[in-house]
Amino acid sequence: MSIKISSISYQINNKNILKDISLEVELGEILCILGPNGAGKSTLLKLLSGDFKPSSGEIYFDDKNLNEISIQERSFMRSVMAQSQAIVFDFSVKEIIEMGWLDKGLASYADKFQEALDEIAEETSVKDLLNEKFNVLSGGEQRRVHFARTLLQTWRPSNSTDPIYLLLDEPTANLDILHEKKMMQKIKDKAAGGIGVMIILHDINVAAKYSDKVAIFKDGELKDIGPPSKVFDEEKLSATYGLPMKINRNPYLITY
Amino acid sequence: MAWLFNYFSFLKHSTSQQILISFALIISLVFIFLLSVSFGSFNFSIIEFLFPSESSIQKTVLLEIRIPRVLLAGFVGASLGLSGASLQGLFRNPLADPGLIGVSAGAALGAALVIVLGSTYIPAYIFNTLALPISAVAGAALVISLLYFFTRGFGYQGITYMLLIGIAVNAFASVGIGILTFISTDSELRGLTFWTMGSFGGASWQIILPALMIIMLSMFWMIPSSRKLDLLQLGEPEAYRLGIDVQKLKFKVIVSSAITVGISVSLSGMIGFVGLVVPHLVRLLGGVNHSFLLPASAFLGASLMMGADLLSRLLIAPAELPVGLITSAIGAPFFLWLIFRSRRI
Repeated sequence: MSIKISSISYQINNKNILKDISLEVELGEILCILGPNGAGKSTLLKLLSGDFKPSSGEIYFDDKNLNEISIQERSFMRSVMAQSQAIVFDFSVKEIIEMGWLDKGLASYADKFQEALDEIAEETSVKDLLNEKFNVLSGGEQRRVHFARTLLQTWRPSNSTDPIYLLLDEPTANLDILHEKKMMQKIKDKAAGGIGVMIILHDINVAAKYSDKVAIFKDGELKDIGPPSKVFDEEKLSATYGLPMKINRNPYLITY
Repeated sequence: MAWLFNYFSFLKHSTSQQILISFALIISLVFIFLLSVSFGSFNFSIIEFLFPSESSIQKTVLLEIRIPRVLLAGFVGASLGLSGASLQGLFRNPLADPGLIGVSAGAALGAALVIVLGSTYIPAYIFNTLALPISAVAGAALVISLLYFFTRGFGYQGITYMLLIGIAVNAFASVGIGILTFISTDSELRGLTFWTMGSFGGASWQIILPALMIIMLSMFWMIPSSRKLDLLQLGEPEAYRLGIDVQKLKFKVIVSSAITVGISVSLSGMIGFVGLVVPHLVRLLGGVNHSFLLPASAFLGASLMMGADLLSRLLIAPAELPVGLITSAIGAPFFLWLIFRSRRI
């Protein structure tokens, strides 16, 4: 069970945003996408979400072509957290999180909403915010609320074996270091529980600490992919970012 | 029975407090209906309404003039309130309103075309009942399609465009109505004036029955989308990722708004501010989620419109004020208050 990307390319106005990308996100692992701005990372995530179709190549979720999966079915098998837009009307935090609780197809555990909400609110430390208005929260708090909503979308009773994927675009942006650590730990726990995670990050040290695999993107191309210990190489990293980098092995820290 | 349960399943996203408020709104709706039916140039007691006396002139006034008029006012108020609420949700803009974005103007232009040119070009048996609402609906639909086209499918960045295009369409429609006014005969002119100021005076069963049925169907078609409108508040891509077919939702909201507003305008004229103000009142009353907002806006819109119509009949009785004047006189200051209150509504 995996998301399989088979040589996809994406062009806008003859400009190549992504060139011949192939990779795989397996259940139970965290694949981290790294690369400078404009490398095509977010576009890759949007293609996987199904927001639009690649110019060529195919995407498979558990060996089923993404094009053949309905919009609603997709919402059951993957949950996406991307850059969020402003919310105009005064919804409460609880209402925003509840939007992740999908209406149909939940028949088998429709009565578990309160249990799921309590569990996730606790894990994402938004419990005290539930009755606040979403719009009065700080940027970091809003991020945590969206994370809670994203998790609620993929919540299943503990005996479930549904294959589920999380696609995250810089989920830790705006978070303080405590909540960044908590969120990354939560993502790690989710992966350990069998969920497949693709995450875009900018902090390579965070990536090194939490990912099972990293993929380095530059100019729309996949430069390298593999476990962090193999991929992170002073020369290659310096070339990718155009910035001299140094790797200390003990304790592990990449400086620049 | 299963489909009925299914239909009302959107209510599970309302709190019990919101359902209570909705019931209170329904009760006040019934109360205002009885009040509106009772008072006017002829007064009836509510007992007479429930058990009509034999006096034939009174019975005729009540059954053939008063009740259709009050019903029409209620339905027009409901469709303006509902389409205002759903358009604000769709555009994610608290200032959207069938009037501001030019939909009412498009409908009025469509109606004016039929009033002035219809008697010449359309056979009388169609002209009486069907041509007017159809032409008004076509006008409203045309405006909405233009908006859709120019805002590239109602994209998020298209909101400023949308309001500007609304202004342009309003101006264009008033030019059209101006030309039609210029070439109209005296009797056609009277008909035109009837539209631009708004009145429920012309209601008769023959005209309103088909209209009310279509409005009601269109509202019942629209209201269960309330949950999807909630999710749309996260942004179009987010709603899509949560399993919502956003294009289909847009189509539904826009078509049902065009139908209800087009028919309302064709039967009662330009009635300003109801579609804008009612959803805001409802949000202040009980919350912003659409499963509460949509039906409650319909109920409150209906009550307010029947109340405004009652005022229009009582203020300078036995003469009548155009109801559009009353709603604008109340709505405009409220609109100002909204602007000054806070940027978050």
